[in-house]
Amino acid sequence: MHIMEGFLPSPWWEIWILISLPFVAIGLYQLNKLVQEKRETLPLLAVAGAFVFVLSSLKIPSFNGSCSHPTGTGLGGILFGPCIAAVLGLIVLVFQAVFLAHGGITTLGANVFSMGIAGPAVAYLIYKAGTRAGANTYATVFIAAALADLVTYVVTSVQLALAFPGTAGFFGAFSAFAAVFAVTQVPLAIIEGAVIMLVFKYIVQLKPEILTRLNLLSESTVQKLREAAA
Amino acid sequence: MYEVLEDYAQTNNLRETSVELKLFIGLASILLCVSSPGPVAPLLVAASMSAAVLALAKIPARFYAKLLLVPVSFAAMSIVVVLFITGGGTVLLEVPGLPLAITAGGANLALLLLARVFGGMCSLYFIALTTPMTEIFDILRKLRVPAVLIDLAMLTYRFIFILIEEAGQIYRSQVMRLGYGRFRESVRSFGMLAGALFIRTWESGEALVLAMDARCYDGRLGIPGDSRPIPVPALAGGFLYLSAVLGVSLFTGGVVIV
Repeated sequence: MHIMEGFLPSPWWEIWILISLPFVAIGLYQLNKLVQEKRETLPLLAVAGAFVFVLSSLKIPSFNGSCSHPTGTGLGGILFGPCIAAVLGLIVLVFQAVFLAHGGITTLGANVFSMGIAGPAVAYLIYKAGTRAGANTYATVFIAAALADLVTYVVTSVQLALAFPGTAGFFGAFSAFAAVFAVTQVPLAIIEGAVIMLVFKYIVQLKPEILTRLNLLSESTVQKLREAAA
Repeated sequence: MYEVLEDYAQTNNLRETSVELKLFIGLASILLCVSSPGPVAPLLVAASMSAAVLALAKIPARFYAKLLLVPVSFAAMSIVVVLFITGGGTVLLEVPGLPLAITAGGANLALLLLARVFGGMCSLYFIALTTPMTEIFDILRKLRVPAVLIDLAMLTYRFIFILIEEAGQIYRSQVMRLGYGRFRESVRSFGMLAGALFIRTWESGEALVLAMDARCYDGRLGIPGDSRPIPVPALAGGFLYLSAVLGVSLFTGGVVIV
């Protein structure tokens, strides 16, 4: 969920920029190291960033006829880890603000935190935990992507409730924002989970070397998954 | 839509104006909007930015009106919540059967937010419609933003247009084959679209690596930039405008609408 330009008053937009800054800095440091080791990383990360942008500007099918957008944060987090995903998220959010008027410049910090840091971090941790525990890969991807989407909205609700506690206080305001977003977002999070799961399945079937090269799946797991599908 | 926005950024009447000046006025207006205590200054910014976009940059009014409608639905949801949870002042409206009420305090805050979002949006569109992204990259380089970030942003930018084209092609062919007829099908089709898009993206990324290597890519993209001097009257006008907005913002801070 993008917070609109001008929506967060001072000092909240500055605070969120300060919170997001270290994550982006670590991401840049990691990125610099990666690029020096393997030059081909930069173009591949760029296409991944463009993919997240396009995915999040496509309309996702929805039950009630209305349409919404997937966040794509889960996929970025799973593929590249939370810090590099924060850098990609920053770039994608700047483009979305300038091209689509989703989000804005002053609210960039808050949006980077909810969509570029919190969401991907959750997806990454769940994916890592799931693969270590030997859980079904597709189920893990589904849960990781769906929860990443949901966490994004929870964090946005926290950000809005902190800025606008109203008379109800922080918790009252949080439950009000969360209620509005939960109603609209829980079904969408499930759909996003399903879509990302299908993407993963598609990649495993057609081009599994992408996943093995990023050390996301071992050769043997890919073999097993492909046999199960056949 | 994206192509169109960028088309206007490349061809509008303010294209040759100094990038620094345009960015400075746009960003300063955004900051003034966000920090304005009353709704008058943001509305003034919205009006003057729209006037600049329509009269100076000569963007067609129909297109601009359509653009302004894009953020409405996004803003509406959050503003409605703020409207209900903020109390203070007289009660203007009560929802029968629910513990919900709109008070004067809530209405004022909601209106202020609406004005700020509107003013910020118009300033953002002013930048987006008058300044091509490539020139913004050039400014970022002068501001010493890490090169890796700029290179990544430039390549991402380049691929967005290619991918939107491909996504559109896949989507149209899926629709032609009734891929979005029922709900189950549409989820499946969308997953297929995203998966196919991802693989194609990755392959074009690999092709790009090869192409760049063949052209002696050494980890740095060198793009020549040109700098246009800022004419003094334009700079003075910009400062005059911004200080006028600041003055209005300070003087009308206490103004409430309800």
